[in-house]
Amino acid sequence: MNLEQWSGNALLVAFILYNISFIVYMIAIAGKKWSNRDPIMHQQRWSRVAFILTVIGLVAQITYFITRWFAAGHVPTSNMFEFMTFLSMAIVAAFIVLFAIYRISALGLFAMPVSVVLISYASVFPKEVQPLIPALKSYWLYVHVATAALGEAFFAIGFAAGLMYLLRTVDYSSKTKESRNSRLGIEFTLYAIVVVIGFVLITNGFKSAEYSAQFTQEVQQKDEKSGELITVTKTTNYTLPPFIQPSNSNMERMDPFLGMDQPLLSAPSWMKGIDSGRKLNTIIWSLLSGLILYWLLRLIIRKPLGAGIQRYMGGIDAEDLDEISYRAIAIGYPIFALGALIFAMIWAHEAWGRFWGWDPKETWALITFLFYTVYLHLRLSRGWQGLKSSWLSVIGFLVVMFTLIGVNLIIAGLHSYAGV
Amino acid sequence: MLHNTKCECGHQNPVGTVLCESCGKPLDDEFGTAPLEMRYDGIARRSQRENPVLIDRVWRFFSSVKVAIILIFIVLCVSIVGTIYPQENTFLNVDPAVYYETTYGLAGQIYHALGLSDTYNSWWYKLLLIMIGASLIICSLDRVLPLYRALNKQQIRKHLSFLVRQRVVYQGQLPASGLSASAFINELVPILKKRRYRVHTDGTALLAEKHRFSRWGPYINHIGLIIFLLAVLMRGLPGWYMDQYSGFLEGVPVKIENTPYYLENEQFTVEYYTEEELPSEFRGQGRAVPKLFETKAILYECTANCSTNQPELKQVHRQNIEVNKPLKYKDLLAYQFDYRETIQIRSVNVSITDENNQNFGPFELSTISPKETYVVDPYVLTLKDYYPEFALNDKGMPYTKSRAPLAPAFIFLVQGPNLAEEGEVFIYFPRDVDKQRFSQDKLNAGVSDMIDIGAASMNDVDISQFTSFLNIRMDRALPYIFTGGVIFMIGVIMGIYWQHRRIWIRIDDDREITIGAHTSKNWFGIRKELSDVLGKAGITVEPKQLENGVKQS
Repeated sequence: MNLEQWSGNALLVAFILYNISFIVYMIAIAGKKWSNRDPIMHQQRWSRVAFILTVIGLVAQITYFITRWFAAGHVPTSNMFEFMTFLSMAIVAAFIVLFAIYRISALGLFAMPVSVVLISYASVFPKEVQPLIPALKSYWLYVHVATAALGEAFFAIGFAAGLMYLLRTVDYSSKTKESRNSRLGIEFTLYAIVVVIGFVLITNGFKSAEYSAQFTQEVQQKDEKSGELITVTKTTNYTLPPFIQPSNSNMERMDPFLGMDQPLLSAPSWMKGIDSGRKLNTIIWSLLSGLILYWLLRLIIRKPLGAGIQRYMGGIDAEDLDEISYRAIAIGYPIFALGALIFAMIWAHEAWGRFWGWDPKETWALITFLFYTVYLHLRLSRGWQGLKSSWLSVIGFLVVMFTLIGVNLIIAGLHSYAGV
Repeated sequence: MLHNTKCECGHQNPVGTVLCESCGKPLDDEFGTAPLEMRYDGIARRSQRENPVLIDRVWRFFSSVKVAIILIFIVLCVSIVGTIYPQENTFLNVDPAVYYETTYGLAGQIYHALGLSDTYNSWWYKLLLIMIGASLIICSLDRVLPLYRALNKQQIRKHLSFLVRQRVVYQGQLPASGLSASAFINELVPILKKRRYRVHTDGTALLAEKHRFSRWGPYINHIGLIIFLLAVLMRGLPGWYMDQYSGFLEGVPVKIENTPYYLENEQFTVEYYTEEELPSEFRGQGRAVPKLFETKAILYECTANCSTNQPELKQVHRQNIEVNKPLKYKDLLAYQFDYRETIQIRSVNVSITDENNQNFGPFELSTISPKETYVVDPYVLTLKDYYPEFALNDKGMPYTKSRAPLAPAFIFLVQGPNLAEEGEVFIYFPRDVDKQRFSQDKLNAGVSDMIDIGAASMNDVDISQFTSFLNIRMDRALPYIFTGGVIFMIGVIMGIYWQHRRIWIRIDDDREITIGAHTSKNWFGIRKELSDVLGKAGITVEPKQLENGVKQS
């Protein structure tokens, strides 16, 4: 077994341990209400087991990271797979830091799934160790990426605690407009998480079934040398069955799917690029599978997901959750500013000769920074603690995820990695 | 309207004060019970004082944190809109008015018409940044001086209602150890000191305080941001900022415009990953993954004849430029940007052959900057004309297509033995292809049996392979920009990773103990700390019970 395989196995071990630790956290929190036991003793005992599993999982993931580093000869944060696994590792580390301060084990119930979902999300991207193109050969790059990811990891914990606050405090019996909006917002947030899980499940499912379809599109473009207009044929490969084909494209081949042997629709003509059709198809698949998964879960628990989770949130102090959320964001903010802005500027200066170029990824890092700046200033104002700032922490993490994933999917730029 | 701002303790407070500067008694809602608003310790901000004239109104507008938040939020939203379509600066040589319409249709046309296609360079975006800058300065000045004064002269014994309306409160009896009130206070001093508090006592009252410096964090980070913003604006000044792209053919020093420098690309290298270095998935697909772009650069400074084509150059710096490893010399920066394969003759070692097959020379003939005369005893060659990229127009007249030596042609007037007194014209094409195409021998028909000019072999031809494109920059604002960044980080870390904590204790009637505590952040931490401190002094209280409003059982 070579080092790269070794490293892959260590990641798998970490992933399994995180999953088990999540389940044990569930037992610790939900099992309090089981009969013939002392709830406090029960929670203490099982939370400790869960926490130990988390720590061993983190050690396994650090092993993955270091062995991959040696196998690749460079710090493994240079493509989407490596970055996402690094982020999930940072989230576990950030959780351990906040758990060490506040000792609220229910936090694990929310932090571990975020990390697990991110590792699964990473699994969708190509896992090979790739050789570095010259622009990526810089120590500042690694320092920039690692620091930014650590900051974002604390924002993720801020999000987890914020969401917990909302789930803990929202009133499921009240009929006021305010609490109805809150409930809708919570369901939507939970649905968004389910969409990511759905996306991971279907992409990996069709990947292992080796599904494929291919489309070509003829594009007029300027020849670099002669400057004349020439016709170029561009090809795109679908790994998900095409409901939607790229606009103005020809089907080369397509594996039939549930009796469907040609796409249902064509992408609207304003979506010109061949890849935008594929991305739109992926988004529709994700939303659909998320919807199915969401209603399955609802059928099982027979009430809104938020109400189902709220049952187990009793006994956790809401003010503490609010403070954990605030503290996590406050810890993350300087790290994020340092990594995503200052170190990024140093690297950009070394690599491109300009410390700032308004590249979409850069701009979105600034937007994230501005968002959390607003958050921190609003926390000083009366009436912005608790409910409102919890919502901000949830939206803030949405901004973070858009910066990390959405920008690559929707807006391409210098930072574009391989997309699905 | 006259407003009485004198507190019952006798202190005269400025208009706008919320909590008495001296004893902390709430001035405007004396009988409330809700936890106090402790921002800036309840001092009057500078902007709240006078009857406003215009300048006060401007000051008042920018001194509001609410306005600051709204400004940041507007910049945030505008920045998002700016990322919808690629900005104009991502294209070279494209007419934006046409591009946005043809690529994105009506939406693109509107986007361009609104100026959103150049959001970040637009006057309104800059104006927003300047407004944020103004807000940073005014918000800070408005608060920092009064806050400094308030924290610098704190009274130890605070008003009872000030203590019980803190967010962390304890009220109870002295433990039954028989200690007197002042003895109990003295017992607390070392416990608090061990936790790095600075402790001040006043009989039966105590004030413990730590990490006050963290209160200055926000102001320091604002100073950093102001330096940063100013430095960015400074780049608009002439001479502060330069950004140009130039091509450097191997072996030819090229002047860098607006500087005394010449840069020579001695050799350019591009390397690709070998098949073995690629992961198995990439192999056998003929994929070329670049590994290295490198320009061996020499930097010269011009010492004389700078505006002629024979400048005197002095080598000042030598460096290999790679991506991520720019050339740095004083203010000058040169980045590897692009390259192009450009196979061109740079110079030829030519010799003259007479009718007896006797060789004279060789001498070096440059295609970049040929000399006016070449003396090769016994011959003298005068360059009458030179065409770097020789061609004939439709009237059969020679002209040059470009200044790049792609098809060089030299027209010499040759004087020497057995040649006409006034000299003979000889046309020389260094490239064999051109020699055939333009029939050099026919053109030189009159002299070709008496002399020939040419290179003996390919070894005499010096060929350049690549043109390296470098991005030449100068940015005098950089040190200030990074200084601003560092100051900002120091301020943020000071303000966030440390918290200003204060604990006030007063004992009334020799046994009633009242404690109030305040922290700039992290209430969980201060409750735990206070609970530990009290535990050591014999008062047992759970951290959670210290929270104002939680029943103390």
